This record gives sequence, C-alpha cells and structure tokens, in this order.
Amino acid sequence: MNHKELKELIEFLVEKDIAEFELERGDVKIRIKRGAEPGAIHTPDPRYFAVHSAPPPAPEVGVHPVTAESPTTAPATAAAPAPVENLHIVHSPIVGTYYESPSPGSPPFVKVGDTVEVGQVVCIVEAMKLMNEIESDVAGEVVKKLITNGQPIEYGQDLFAIRPRA
Amino acid sequence: MRLLVNHATVVVSGTKIAQEIGSNRAEVWRLIQRLRELGVEIAGRPATGYRLESMPDLLLPDLLAPLVRGTLFADHIHHYYKIGSTNTAAMKAGAAGAAEGSVFLAEQQTEGRGRGAHTWHSTQSDGIYCSVLLRPSLSPSEALLLSLAAGLAVKGAINEIDPKVNADLKWPNDLLIDGKKFCGILTEMNAEVTRVRYLVVGVGINVNHGSFPAELKQATSLRLATGTVWSRMELCAALLKSLDREYRMLSTDSDARQSIIRRFEAGSTSVRGREVEIENGGGVSGVTAGLDARGFLLVRGDKGIQTILSGTVRLK
Repeated sequence: MNHKELKELIEFLVEKDIAEFELERGDVKIRIKRGAEPGAIHTPDPRYFAVHSAPPPAPEVGVHPVTAESPTTAPATAAAPAPVENLHIVHSPIVGTYYESPSPGSPPFVKVGDTVEVGQVVCIVEAMKLMNEIESDVAGEVVKKLITNGQPIEYGQDLFAIRPRA
Repeated sequence: MRLLVNHATVVVSGTKIAQEIGSNRAEVWRLIQRLRELGVEIAGRPATGYRLESMPDLLLPDLLAPLVRGTLFADHIHHYYKIGSTNTAAMKAGAAGAAEGSVFLAEQQTEGRGRGAHTWHSTQSDGIYCSVLLRPSLSPSEALLLSLAAGLAVKGAINEIDPKVNADLKWPNDLLIDGKKFCGILTEMNAEVTRVRYLVVGVGINVNHGSFPAELKQATSLRLATGTVWSRMELCAALLKSLDREYRMLSTDSDARQSIIRRFEAGSTSVRGREVEIENGGGVSGVTAGLDARGFLLVRGDKGIQTILSGTVRLK
C-alpha cells in the first residue's frame, strides 16, 4: 500500500467516522486508531468538549471525575469509540478453516466498508471438504474482518463485525 | 420414451404413440428424431411403427425413479444433458426452497467443481455427476459427518454391484482403486449457528471413462480398473439408495456417529499408520493416527499429534 492509498484509506475512515481499523495483507499490517491525537479536535463528542472546556487551573480539579484525568490521557479516553457501539458479530457454526473468497485467487466475498444484506454470503468455513457458506444475519456495513484467510477457527468463533443499518 | 421402454421388443405404431401421449403422428416423428439425436436407437418401419433397438445409458428420471422408490430421492429427480455444475444448481435450488431429496444429475458438466480451485473432469455420459439436496435436522457439527458418510455410501453402492472391487477411502471422502482416484465428493452447506438450512452432497464418479487427459495421471474409472463397462443407471440407483440409508441412520440413530467413524477407519488403508503430507497451507506431514470423535484426521508429526480439519491428504 502506497502513501496515496493510505491517505485515501484514512480519509475514508474519517468520512465514515470509523474509530478503529485493522488490516492484514501478507506481511503488511496496518492499524489505525483515530481520535487519540489532537487531530481529532473536530470530533463532535460531548465528553471531549467537556474536558477541554474545563480550564486546567480551575478549582474543581480533583473533584470533577472528567477533569481529574491528566490532560494527556483525557483526549484519548474521550475520543475512544463509543462503547463498542452495538456492532453485530457474525459467528461460525462449525469448526474448520476460514476462506474469505470462493476459491484461491478470486476476490473476497466482502471487504471492510462493504454493505451487506441479510443472507449475503460473507465467507466460507471448510471442514472435511464440507464447504459452509456463512451468511450475514444482519444488514449493514462490514466494519471489521476478525479472521485472516486460511486460519483454523473454532465453533462459535467471531468472524465479522457489522454495523447494523439504522 | 417410456412407452417404447414398456414395449421394448415390439413395434409400436406411430398412431398408437400419438394417442397415448395426446399428440399427432407428425409430432411423434419429431420426438423420435430427437431421441435418435440423443443416442437412442429406434428402428422405424414403414406402415407398422417404431421399435426400440438399444438405449444409451442415460440417467433419465422416468427410468431412475422406479429404481429408487421408497427412498428420499424418488420424487424430484432433475436431469440435464449439459450443465455448469450440479452442485451449483442444487445450492441455488436449496436457496429457492426446493424440496429435501431433490436430485440433480448431469450427463456432462462444463464447470464441475472440487475443493478450492480444483475442477472435476466431467465428460459426456461417462461418469455419474449427482448432487442431492438435504435439509437435515442436525446441528452443523453433526452434519459434518455427512461428508464421511457420503464416501461410505459410494463404497457401499459399488460393492453392492460388484463386491470384488476394492474401493479404498482416502480422508475425508475420496475413493481410490490401486491408489488412483475415481470418485470425489464435495459437500456444501448453508447453516445458521445452531441449524442447517440446507446441504448439498455432490458426487462425481468416473464410471466408463476409457482414458483421461495426460495431466490426470492419478485418475482412473471403474471400467479401467475392472475391465468391464458398468451400467450408470444401476450404479446411480444403488448410490441414491445407499445415501438414503446413511442419511436416515445419521438422522435417527444416536450411535451413527461412532458407526460412521468405525466403518470409515475399516474402509480406508490410509487413515492409520500411513505417511502423509497435508496440503492445507500449513504443510503438515507425518503418520496418520486415525480419526477423532468428530471425524477429523489425526496426524503424528514433529510437533506431536495434530488435528487436521481440512486439506488434501497426499499419500507418500
């Protein structure tokens, strides 16, 4: 991935307001967590403003729970993703090997950022030459792929995080 | 067609056929031409009628259904002369709500599939390309055993016809004769976490192939291995009956799981004590040590015993 692609990716994450993102492709691993740096100033998170609106030398320091936090850690805490914001998890019904595409070399069923419908196939889990098509049981946006291609998985293991359509 | 089969040795007049099927003589003549194109030998005698001389071994539903009466598979047999893949057709039908026990047969597959990117060499009317649609009331983990049971069903069907054939199972469900593969099975499932919506077992058997492309060095057919031409119709009927038995057992009998694992171990020379290499990305090699309670293959290698969930077993 080059700088341009990386920039586009970050812009996409900002646009879609995605707080955290992880991608592993071959030996490249990218992890982006937004909001931990001052660049997140525009984040319309009320807690964030609560922190900054409190004047550091104010007498309430040590009393108010929010302002009690040190200024360096406060923005990070404040801008962290809203408590796991109700992401829906797709689980595996069997033990097996995870495949992200219908056959080796073909494009994956879904990518992070894709919109899926109920019943759409999102991956295959194989055990003993039994190919199990895993469908999304919710409509929404794929926020995170939790397993890498070819990895063995257990019964009930989390496969995808999907933000349900409002 | 059935009319001629029922009167296999006699001459049937065009007028009689027309009456029976509610048509006219010209239409009967057109149908006879169509059958001739398909390889059915029909003698036409001026002023008397038509007589069936010989029939190709086509897996026609009208002829197959009576042979599998009483099984799950008698009522919804679909036959194609040419199709991409019977498994694809069966999975689509499953999604569209087709009945349990629907059977999809093809004389020829243009996109016969195996595991991953593997294809299945499916020439016209030489093999059996058969997919069945099931809606088991099993949990997905129990349904996995159907993968092993399907291999046992093929072995059972072959030995019902010729007990001398030594069909050797290779985990999870390939069948070999003298180390060469003649049958492959691909099972596809659509399931929720606790419930199987539908499942398709696709069986490809090389029956009467006289030769294979050079790149398929490790392939054989029943005909090449036994020296005789097999009736695909007879074998296909035996296969559906055998699948029906295995499926019913797994659905109703609580001991079926152990029975499947025990019979698989008995029917496979490579499941125990055989040096193998597993092609599944991980590259495990070692000596096979039987199956675990779930039906997974155990391989004893450098890192101790490993459980193999999937992958191709290469025999050394």
